[in-house]
Amino acid sequence: MSASPRRAVITGIGIISPIGLDAASYWRSLLEGRSGIRPIQAFDASGLPVRIAGEIPHFNAKDYLEKEQRKSLRVMARTIQLAVAGAQRALDDGKVDKSKLDPTRFGVEFGAGLIATELNDLIEAACVSANCQPGRVDLEKWGEQGIPLIQPLWMLKYLPNMLACHISILHDARGPNNSITESDVASLLALGEAYRILLRDQADFFLVGGAESKINPLSMVRQCLFECLSRRNDEPTRACRPFDRGRDGLVLGEGAGVFVVEDLEHARRRGAHIYAEIVGFGAAFDPGMRGDGLARAIRAALTEAGIEPHEVDHINALGLSTPESDAWEARGLHEIFGDCSPPVPVFAAKSYIGNLGAGGSTTELAASVLAMSKGLVPPTLNYEQADPDCPVVVLSQQPRPMTRPYVVKVSFTQMGQCAAMVVRQWN
Amino acid sequence: MRRRVVITGMGAITPLGHNVRETIEAQLQGQNGVGPIESFDASRFPTKFAAQVKDFDLARFIPNCQRWAHSGINSQFAAAAAQEALQHAGLLHDDRVDRNRFGVYLGSGEGIQDFHNLLSWIYQAYRRETRQLDTAVFERGALSVFHPERESEQELHTTPAHLAAHFDLRGPNYNCLTACAASSQAVGEATELIRHGDADLMLVGGAHSMIHPFGVTGFNLLTALSTRNDAPEKASRPFDLHRDGFVLGEGAAMLVLEELEHAKRRGADILAEVTGYGSTADAFRVTDSHPDGRGAIACMEAALKDSRLNLSDIGYINAHGTSTKVNDSVETLAIKKVFGDLAYRIPVSSTKSMMGHLIAAAGAMELITCVEVLRRGVMPPTINYETPDPECDLDYIPRTAREKRVQHALSNSFGFGGQNIALIVSRFAG
Repeated sequence: MSASPRRAVITGIGIISPIGLDAASYWRSLLEGRSGIRPIQAFDASGLPVRIAGEIPHFNAKDYLEKEQRKSLRVMARTIQLAVAGAQRALDDGKVDKSKLDPTRFGVEFGAGLIATELNDLIEAACVSANCQPGRVDLEKWGEQGIPLIQPLWMLKYLPNMLACHISILHDARGPNNSITESDVASLLALGEAYRILLRDQADFFLVGGAESKINPLSMVRQCLFECLSRRNDEPTRACRPFDRGRDGLVLGEGAGVFVVEDLEHARRRGAHIYAEIVGFGAAFDPGMRGDGLARAIRAALTEAGIEPHEVDHINALGLSTPESDAWEARGLHEIFGDCSPPVPVFAAKSYIGNLGAGGSTTELAASVLAMSKGLVPPTLNYEQADPDCPVVVLSQQPRPMTRPYVVKVSFTQMGQCAAMVVRQWN
Repeated sequence: MRRRVVITGMGAITPLGHNVRETIEAQLQGQNGVGPIESFDASRFPTKFAAQVKDFDLARFIPNCQRWAHSGINSQFAAAAAQEALQHAGLLHDDRVDRNRFGVYLGSGEGIQDFHNLLSWIYQAYRRETRQLDTAVFERGALSVFHPERESEQELHTTPAHLAAHFDLRGPNYNCLTACAASSQAVGEATELIRHGDADLMLVGGAHSMIHPFGVTGFNLLTALSTRNDAPEKASRPFDLHRDGFVLGEGAAMLVLEELEHAKRRGADILAEVTGYGSTADAFRVTDSHPDGRGAIACMEAALKDSRLNLSDIGYINAHGTSTKVNDSVETLAIKKVFGDLAYRIPVSSTKSMMGHLIAAAGAMELITCVEVLRRGVMPPTINYETPDPECDLDYIPRTAREKRVQHALSNSFGFGGQNIALIVSRFAG
């Protein structure tokens, strides 16, 4: 393993979430135990079996852009707008003077997912070509009459690399730039990669995060087909209940979680407030959802951090709230932390905001980074009845003081891609 | 001293062949993989041709391939190319290597949307009276016709997950999608994972097909594709004065990256060494690359610095060379800026002239081409290069392959939106 004198610290947090449009309001909602899960308002969802989500009711991307930049919003799907807004909030929170940054040492890494087309973009083209027989488009008509009815930059609005691209353009970030498209683990892999790039001295300053919104008709249809969503339409705030015995599925949310991450010396030179330090990272594949792959990722991260499991204050869990996923996660956590006494408890931010997909890991981790700076860990919502299949201690009911200086964030996909990160409280 | 990374296996499914050997031999003969689009009726599209993979059947490569039954063609290409690369490396069933230290990093594209059912239900849910879409009608309709597994297989993490599960690769697992730079970036970042010690082995590469109605529509709307419908085989003409856009290709390219000592210990055949990687962003516009090539210049310089080589060490450049007006002149400008007068003495070719643009998979395929240049001492040509463009005045190896003993080769990949990647591979010198 290569040793590096460089260190990576988190110096800014940008949150766009169902429970707050900046880090401060996000934190207030977490402490007050306020859920962001509600009936879907953005469109008529009455044709779906699931009609609740962690929707952001009053998001207007214009609020986050200079006037001359706003025309670019036309080529940004909501997911991209959330990312751009989150990046701006992270720079604001980090009190970053962009004129003082070296653009060539300024990188961007984002987690992103498949972005569904807005149906409205295709109505006119559909009307001239899909009107002959059900289930078939007349491709001759589509080619001749349909294509000219779609806006020229249509495809760019939905490319997953456009989160990082727009952010690099808006902020003149010419350093390394990557878009990790690995479902729910994407933004943690992005953060891990940026951390490594900083340590190997190929950048000094990073905007890193993830964003996603699946709260649109096409994405919701697809997610409903996968049959893993909670059906608790009548009690939305109680629907997402990680590790609770009564959990019945995940709840979709939308938003962005973005960090300013920079080399320690760079942060000191510009007099930045430091929230925390990234000290370890690991990734692995877990075939067959046994939990051992997740455990390997965690062990790698702990080893790099040079700490033992009992030094960890709490685990920031994936906590998807589906019966299988939480049991799988708990098995992996138990393999590492099972012998710790007192036990290392688990916090699951999804209980407030739902599953933000590619934006989830960083948004969830932000809760623990804020907890480290406040010395207080928020409770997990809706944890009422322990599940024997989930051998973990869940932080619930009320906030609890931080007692140890490290947090472990874990994340994974339902196909087995896992990652873990160790973050250290800054004193 | 940092850990060194070598290439010990390669696999490819391309418009020129179903494996690396066929593809490279076709390249060296200057063969053309472009023809009329056959997978759907494109007869009234602005562009009616592409470079397609011919007669592909995954079962011929992987007998037990049920895992991919509902996958998109991208994921199936990936599986076949991965099988070849792992077999080539002698790692399909090698119990001596620690599979926990063997990861996957792909720059792989999305699956293909259910074009007909999606459009059909948009049409049926549209209410002319209100000029609004009745989303509840769309939802019920789409729920009744969309195929759950096929929808799920479009997701971007499914391709690397299938490879990891099928070939038992339990190390770090990533997919990045930085448009046309994706699989090059995957090679670069996977190299860094091995250097850092996160893994000893990485299966890397990409797979993509955008030869479907939405894909061609999207690129036609951007006016990025050639529309030379009267002579498709002449359409991809990088650096030629009369180039008018790129030609869509499809396929997959996979490589096995391995830590040098690990490769030596197991007696692996070392094909080449990955010596340089550079990654930058243009930070200019989502639609155009920077007119001075500033990101392209910076990424080549970063890769050279990483490799600790001199400019004069580079013996061949596999260009991004898309055959669009802007790319080819800006890339030429950038190469001249980086290499100065030496630029005129370094042969540069674009294999996109023969196989089209494999989008996310392009970079990994072009890196395989570079490795074969090192191994065979023959450089593939740029076909269809007929009329010089004053703005493109380098040696593009026109029309026929050329022999040259090359020690180090550079491969460029520039993504739509401004991500730039340069990779350098070197003959393994012990």
